[in-house]
Amino acid sequence: MAYLDVSNVTKRYGDTVAVDDVSFSAEPGRILGLLGPNGAGKTSTIRMITYITVPDAGGIRYDGETVGPWSQQRMGYLPEERGLYKRLRVKEQLVYLGTLKGLSKAEAADRADHWLGRFDATGWADMKTEELSKGMQQKIQFIATLLHDPSLLIFDEPFSGLDPINADLLRDIILELRREDRTILFASHRMEQVEQLCDDICLMARGDVVLRGPLRDIKEQFGKNTLVLEFDGDDHFVDQLEAEGLVRVNTRSAHRAELTLADGTAARTVLDRALDATDELYRYERTAPPLNEIFVEVVGEDEARRMQEEAATAPAG
Amino acid sequence: MSAHKIWLILSSEFWRRVRSKAFILATLLVPVGFVILAAAPALFGYLAEQTDERVVALVDETDQLADSLAAAGGDRITFESTDAPIDSVRAAVRGGVYDGYLLLPASLLDGEGEATYYSMEGGGLTLRTQIDGMVNRVIQERRLTSAGADASVLSIVRSDVGLSTRKLAEDEGTTADSSLALTAIGYAMAFIIYFAVFIYGQYVMQGVIEEKSNRVVEIVVSSVRPFELLMGKVLGIGAMGLVQMVTWAVLVGGGFAVAGPVLALVMSPEDLGVAPDASQQAMAEAAGASLPTLPLDLMVWFVLFFLGGFLLYASLFAAVGSAVEQQQDAQNLLLPVMTPLIVPILFLFFIIESPNATVSVVMSIIPFFSPILMVLRAAIANVPLWEIGLAFGLLLATFVGMIWVAGRIYRVGILSYGKTPGFREIAKWVTYD
Repeated sequence: MAYLDVSNVTKRYGDTVAVDDVSFSAEPGRILGLLGPNGAGKTSTIRMITYITVPDAGGIRYDGETVGPWSQQRMGYLPEERGLYKRLRVKEQLVYLGTLKGLSKAEAADRADHWLGRFDATGWADMKTEELSKGMQQKIQFIATLLHDPSLLIFDEPFSGLDPINADLLRDIILELRREDRTILFASHRMEQVEQLCDDICLMARGDVVLRGPLRDIKEQFGKNTLVLEFDGDDHFVDQLEAEGLVRVNTRSAHRAELTLADGTAARTVLDRALDATDELYRYERTAPPLNEIFVEVVGEDEARRMQEEAATAPAG
Repeated sequence: MSAHKIWLILSSEFWRRVRSKAFILATLLVPVGFVILAAAPALFGYLAEQTDERVVALVDETDQLADSLAAAGGDRITFESTDAPIDSVRAAVRGGVYDGYLLLPASLLDGEGEATYYSMEGGGLTLRTQIDGMVNRVIQERRLTSAGADASVLSIVRSDVGLSTRKLAEDEGTTADSSLALTAIGYAMAFIIYFAVFIYGQYVMQGVIEEKSNRVVEIVVSSVRPFELLMGKVLGIGAMGLVQMVTWAVLVGGGFAVAGPVLALVMSPEDLGVAPDASQQAMAEAAGASLPTLPLDLMVWFVLFFLGGFLLYASLFAAVGSAVEQQQDAQNLLLPVMTPLIVPILFLFFIIESPNATVSVVMSIIPFFSPILMVLRAAIANVPLWEIGLAFGLLLATFVGMIWVAGRIYRVGILSYGKTPGFREIAKWVTYD
């Protein structure tokens, strides 16, 4: 199986630089997480990989050759904003999309039958797509992505808008595809989701790659500076620790806190304070930081906050 | 560019529209409506005339005209001479015994005064013209006779000469001129092309908007080039339009072929003013329920210019559609597309009046106008082949240029969501790589 190589790719839209000199690669049998807040350039990058747009500079190779119509036929793409032709019947829709990917009509029809069967959806074949529920349409969308047996799969925010059953189904599909040695690219701004699935990550911010590599290495590189506490009783000590500049609070609820140690703070200090203040301490764990925190650390706290705010107002892209 | 992909898209776009209920209904019902609208007035008019046999009391103060007028009245108007006093004639009309009465004063024989028709309902235009003609002819003959004109003079006066017009062809000889019919045809063709381009162009725009707001477009362009999608869509809808128009033409033609004999069953040739042994075709024509035969080259140009015009405008409609997310947002952007489509309509009458004036020639060669204006000119005048050829060549060249521009707008537009762009921004898209 082949791998995907993105090297020094730049893409401008008018005066905006959407992707700035980005390089990374994805290998077969592994899942690459393309991460970053909205507006980081993930979708712009994906559109170049899928040959929907072409880079202004740099090159994208798949299997050693520059991507083009030939590689589109070997890629399956599940875009962030998903949709189907409403008035087409389900099977007809799948066959049409399959033939656009280079399948013959007969092949496409056979595979559509196969996949509809696998998703317990054989009965939907002659229904109009608009008659299906949203969850059913999501399944049809997965089938459309997989129908032509692609060796490179690209999922853009795959879990957004999925109901829990389909989210599980998709997770299983993605893991199965990985076992089959396909190359999988998975873009998301929901970093905690990606963490569970990815082998490698490529962290993007404002069109740049700010961090990339195997997830395990990265986690090690950032050390065990994160504490997870679960307790009962007075949680005022967390405020005090933060006020004294000893820790930064990542997440916090009534009985749980996730803290990042400030430089020079001994983990023990936090444990002592917690034991003094709380009625009961169930969990005290020193661990590697979650991706969210790594991201904040890499781009800086102020920058990260600004990006989050921008992402909340700007359109996706 | 892959012709195979374009073909896949073309046929999908074509079939999914052609088999829709709306398309089938419109394709079948429009010609039925057209035939009914065209044939019904002829039939009803005829039937009305038939039932309208009028009985008119004739108060003939000249004492000389009654017989010849009764003869002239034929089946349609029965003149009954009466000597009764005017009051009782009036009462009889009011009582419904007569439809009206005609008063012929004695002075008529000297060419003075006027005949007067009295009725309860006024009579209508046809009746007025008929009676007027009859009275005049009868009086004319009577006066000629009394002035001593002999039979040969009378027959000269009686002869009824029709006017036939013939058109000078470019080459030798003449062709039968049905210039009135051809003007009507040219006018109709111009409007058909205008509406067809407008309506099918809107289909293209709707299709593009639907695909974009459905978000399915992103999946499609990860399989085919945006330009292939654009071409496939435009050609598919064009094919649909062509099929619809050809079906309409066949059905309307067939409808009249059936309507002719049907009319012939209920009408008699004399009533239509044609020879008693006239063919059904002639009768149908006389009844106004037939289509004039079209010259073949005119039909060919019509189809070519329709396709050229559709392709040119459809690519622009597609570009506009790609820039917006819903139909309402397209209004502003449509202005530069709609304006050149409407301008030729303003010139229709000018061109009908003077089809070979310089302005007419120039206007009909300009690519954005030629689909409407050149077809009109080709129908009503002898347009040199080079003018039509030039107009068509320019039209094709403009189409190629426009679809290129449209393709560049389209490929950016279909992936741009959010605020509807202005003309400036769209112009920028063309320059993107």
